[in-house]
Amino acid sequence: MPLRRVPGPPTDGSSRGPLVRFTFDGRSYEGFDGEPLGVALLAADRRILSRSFRFHRPRGLMCSTGGCGWCECEVDGRPSVRSCRVPVHEGLVARGEHAWPSVERDLVSLVGVFSRWIPPTFYHHRFLRPRRLRKRYLDLLRSFGGRGRLRFDGPIDLAVAGRARERIATDVLVLGGGPAGVAAALRAAASGENVLLIEADRTTAAVAHADRAGLTVLTGVAAVGWYGGMLAALGDGVAYEIRARTVVAATGSYDRVPLVPGADLPGVMAARLVVDLVHRHGVVPGRRALLVGAGLELATAAEQLERAGVAIVHGPIPTPSLIVVRGRRRVTGAVVAVNGDRQRISVDLVVFGDRSPNLDLALSAGAAVERRGETLVPVLDADGRTTVPSLSIVGSATGRSGAATGHPTNAADPHLDTFVCFCEDVRVWEIRSELAAGYLDPELVKRRTGALTGPCQGKYCLQSFDCLAGPAQDGPVKLPTARPPLRPVRLGDLVAAETGAPDIPDER
Amino acid sequence: MSRHGLASMSSTEPPRSAEVVIVGAGIAGLGFARELVARGVRDIVIVERGYPGGGATGRNVARIRAMQLTEALTHVARACQAKYERMGDELGFNILFYRLGYAWVLYEPDEVARMREIVEMHHRIGVGSALLTPDETLRHLPILRGGEAVAGAVLNDDAIVHHDAVVWAHVEHLERTSVRIVTGTKVQAIARGEHGVEAVETDGGRIETRAILNAAGGWAGELNRLAGVNAPNRPYRREVLVTAPLRRSIEAAVTFYRPNEGWFNQTLRGEIVMGVVDPTEPPGVEQGSTWDFLGRTAALMVRKAPALADVAVIRQWAGMYDITPDHLPLVGATNQLEGWWQANGWSGRGMLLGPYLTELLAERFVSGQTPPHLEAFDPDRFGPEPLADEAEADYYARYARR
Repeated sequence: MPLRRVPGPPTDGSSRGPLVRFTFDGRSYEGFDGEPLGVALLAADRRILSRSFRFHRPRGLMCSTGGCGWCECEVDGRPSVRSCRVPVHEGLVARGEHAWPSVERDLVSLVGVFSRWIPPTFYHHRFLRPRRLRKRYLDLLRSFGGRGRLRFDGPIDLAVAGRARERIATDVLVLGGGPAGVAAALRAAASGENVLLIEADRTTAAVAHADRAGLTVLTGVAAVGWYGGMLAALGDGVAYEIRARTVVAATGSYDRVPLVPGADLPGVMAARLVVDLVHRHGVVPGRRALLVGAGLELATAAEQLERAGVAIVHGPIPTPSLIVVRGRRRVTGAVVAVNGDRQRISVDLVVFGDRSPNLDLALSAGAAVERRGETLVPVLDADGRTTVPSLSIVGSATGRSGAATGHPTNAADPHLDTFVCFCEDVRVWEIRSELAAGYLDPELVKRRTGALTGPCQGKYCLQSFDCLAGPAQDGPVKLPTARPPLRPVRLGDLVAAETGAPDIPDER
Repeated sequence: MSRHGLASMSSTEPPRSAEVVIVGAGIAGLGFARELVARGVRDIVIVERGYPGGGATGRNVARIRAMQLTEALTHVARACQAKYERMGDELGFNILFYRLGYAWVLYEPDEVARMREIVEMHHRIGVGSALLTPDETLRHLPILRGGEAVAGAVLNDDAIVHHDAVVWAHVEHLERTSVRIVTGTKVQAIARGEHGVEAVETDGGRIETRAILNAAGGWAGELNRLAGVNAPNRPYRREVLVTAPLRRSIEAAVTFYRPNEGWFNQTLRGEIVMGVVDPTEPPGVEQGSTWDFLGRTAALMVRKAPALADVAVIRQWAGMYDITPDHLPLVGATNQLEGWWQANGWSGRGMLLGPYLTELLAERFVSGQTPPHLEAFDPDRFGPEPLADEAEADYYARYARR
């Protein structure tokens, strides 16, 4: 059943660009100028945007925050671009990757039939005989690897504009311009400190306060890494190296995908994506919806879906009541537990509201985190300081307020075939078998399964990974070392200008 | 469910005594244990501060290069590569030995002149390297198209392996032997007496022994100091970054030395690993990542191979090169302390040299005779005096000195 757009302008009051034409895998589509490519494709009923690395499972829009990578495709010749973050323009050319003949109908996905015999360690005792075929086996493996195309036969744009480097020293650096970040910035500025707030998006409520004494706001600037107290960030044409006495992370939360089989199918969507789709883009992502979990945005999504005429079949049900999401190429149903009975229901949309705190900064700074129930949270003192004294955390990134407050999950007893890590298609049983074989150190579980090592670097699986590979009780945990960058960065964007602007020791 | 694993052989409680204590469960320690067992030594304990392969062994990109700049080292390196080629059969484990090819890409006329002699040397001793013209270089490595003009390349049919697979192959093999690994355990002191070493003191207890192998990689210097042994090796951080996986597109492991040493290659899964060395990196035990590394590497890679500008960096990490003054490892007994054995100072070549040289070392250990290939790696060759720290010299200059 095709999707539809709500007629008329977006209900969030924004205006739409003119209609433009673009192509995906050779077919022509229409979208509104400037809207995200992934959204325009979904509106045209293209739900499968990519294929997973190992088993070529269909993946589509899930988070819309540029974090999960399920919507990666080639855009205008650039490999593996997250299509939820790329604005559509006239003549844009996009292609699916890592599929044959196409992401829509990918024959390589037949390897999924054999997936129970292909754990990440599958090669350990194989492909040694006959000897003369050894290289051939590995050539074949090589041809299954890879994702994006690297193009060096076309004209190469040599003019890689180096970024100017700007060094900033400030009293307080606030990361994130959401409500918690703005509040923290205003509080610090009011007490007379120099405050810099950076926000990866183009807009933040902080801009309205930017003329206040002591508060500087930079939008479109994304943190790249914490390097021993120096925070590196990239904005348009500028690489910032920021040193602050206090860094306040108001970095929010990540969507927590239910730990059940089928949760990676196109049609399983985070509540905030659904709100964004309906409210901002007028795209109604289904006809019959199941709502799962908790959170304010789930309620908003429900309200908007209902207003758009979507039947809410169930909801919201607690996350542990979701047993399986069914479907082959997209969501076609689910099995849920209601009053102790398992019910099979027919839905084409599963909306989940659970979130987990964004631990990226805490982990890369080396601050301690601990398990509370089924959720990892940073260890904080009464003032919100982590165990790294210069790093504080506020808002839902603390896991103690807002959307990311530990809700019950399916982590207690997940189905063995459930995918834990989506980038590398690592399942529950694969992690368990490594533990059973004595590879108890989380670093070894990571290395042997590949969990946490894909393009999302664990943002969408660390919580589940730790529930399986970590200690069974609340308290301190040992996690594989987090490494920069905080999110994938184009290599060309890291080139520092050789004759850039002079270093600015202190803006003020 | 896997039938193999660490469970039956590892613990965090050291035994009271052992015939041989190996410090470090990296490529050198695991290799030495394997070779000693094969020669009938039974009572062996490996003490590991973290987990097997947790140091440089798990942080390198496992290029197994037979062609070297000197004749002596090329002879050894060929034997090392042959050892890797046999390893899958010997250990019953696929270490993903793959002849990807290896290319030194040259940018200056003096490099070409120098390499012409080296390729002649290779041919004389039976290594089939080839000196490519600039056109041939771009045909073989189209990734370099549009980049800084190349002066040529030296190409050889060299290999890569999977570093973690090498570790697990050894761990699974040792699991079937009497060797035990004590993980998560740090050495705190070395007890020495009149007749040499007496015991290893760890944070988990004391192990009486008359033979200790220092296979501690970047921490080898600290361990030598605990034993009161002088050695000239110093650890230097080396950084790496890895990109999102791309389709097969680079058919050689590339290294270049001008203007600075840098390298990149594609793994079997399609990720591109790369790095550019900081010639001013100070010595020290340091495995943190730096922001400067990203900028330095991006700038030079995009200059050499502009198509790389569009790849996404997903992760960076660092490990240590434990560097000696002649960039050759210390492998053997030292006459400074009876029972103290060295297998360290690998200078960035531990993956290549480790398995073969620890085989020779095991031979030396049980027979008392030094195999000819081991002679160049005598730990006492620099004399007992500690040497001054030395910054990284130009790659070719190191060899010109000798």
